[in-house]
Amino acid sequence: MDPFIITAILGIGALAGLIGAMLGLGGGVFMIIFFILALNIPAHQAVALSLLAVIASSSMGGSVYVRDKMTNVKLAMSLETCTVTGAVLGAFVALLMPVTFILVILGCVLFYASFMMLRGKRSEETTSVKDGRLSICGEFYDATKKCDVKYTTVRMKMGLFVSLVAGWVSGIVGIGGGVIMVPIMNLIMKIPMKASAATSNFMVGVTAAASAFIYFNKGLVDLYMAVPTVIGVMIGAYIGTRVMVRVESLSLRRLLGVVLTFFGFVLLLKAGGILVW
Amino acid sequence: MVSIEVVLSWVLRTGVMAGAVLMAIGLFAGANVIWLGVFILALTPLLRVTIAGLLFLSQKDVKYFIIALYVISVLVIGILIKF
Repeated sequence: MDPFIITAILGIGALAGLIGAMLGLGGGVFMIIFFILALNIPAHQAVALSLLAVIASSSMGGSVYVRDKMTNVKLAMSLETCTVTGAVLGAFVALLMPVTFILVILGCVLFYASFMMLRGKRSEETTSVKDGRLSICGEFYDATKKCDVKYTTVRMKMGLFVSLVAGWVSGIVGIGGGVIMVPIMNLIMKIPMKASAATSNFMVGVTAAASAFIYFNKGLVDLYMAVPTVIGVMIGAYIGTRVMVRVESLSLRRLLGVVLTFFGFVLLLKAGGILVW
Repeated sequence: MVSIEVVLSWVLRTGVMAGAVLMAIGLFAGANVIWLGVFILALTPLLRVTIAGLLFLSQKDVKYFIIALYVISVLVIGILIKF
């Protein structure tokens, strides 16, 4: 394979892993855009590679966050029941649907993610009051504020429903579902941003794995492209976990909001056959 | 006693490293080795949920053991199903 392409995949992978680990997204959303728009890989194969990137990023980033006790393991496992179910269903839907369908769903996800990022809203409001028996408590050490933060999740039923949708979308477009989960966990379920990002990062690997084998079994993974993808993402994710505990990422969010809106438009134009290359 | 977090962190890191190293070796040793690396990497999340489930069981936390069992079964369905 062309050494230029290998280097490009490594570089974009590292960037995707870095941003993904910082914001709890897993990085799949950047990989899938790169594979489809820059490398022109057929959508189903791009999804397979992207899912692999998400597993690598989530495992690498997750291993750091969980050790630092940023991750809420019980919350992650509870929401995973819905994300994996959605992910298996999503993979089947994706394999039955034409490529245009995948591009349109991805375009919509990008607009949703940009909207959430550009609003720049985040909740640091926490509660200790249980909201029904599904509520889960959590606690972590915030290195920026230099204090322990305690929280209790609210609206778990809503969270479980969104998890199902996020898993379904992840199975179709190979993103792990972090871009959908993080804003909901933070704004609706009242989980502090850093705990939301760390917990989401932990979850996306399992969500991606639930649909990954369905794509692999169809022979949709390009092994030689998988290697630089995984290695790049792993390195980026490791660095990202080291950075996230120290910085507030509001300006990064704004920048990403603009970038993702742009790619959302490009994808829809490609899906509509208006842009062809 | 070692906490759940430390064990899971170790499982995740070992799985992803083992997978990535095999994939890199496979560039020189051939596609079968890359495939083995991909396989190990993609099984890491399943291993993580399985070990978490066993740890919950050892703490007699039945609720989370059942939750883990459910996630494991869906993952296994995803692995075995031919479509």
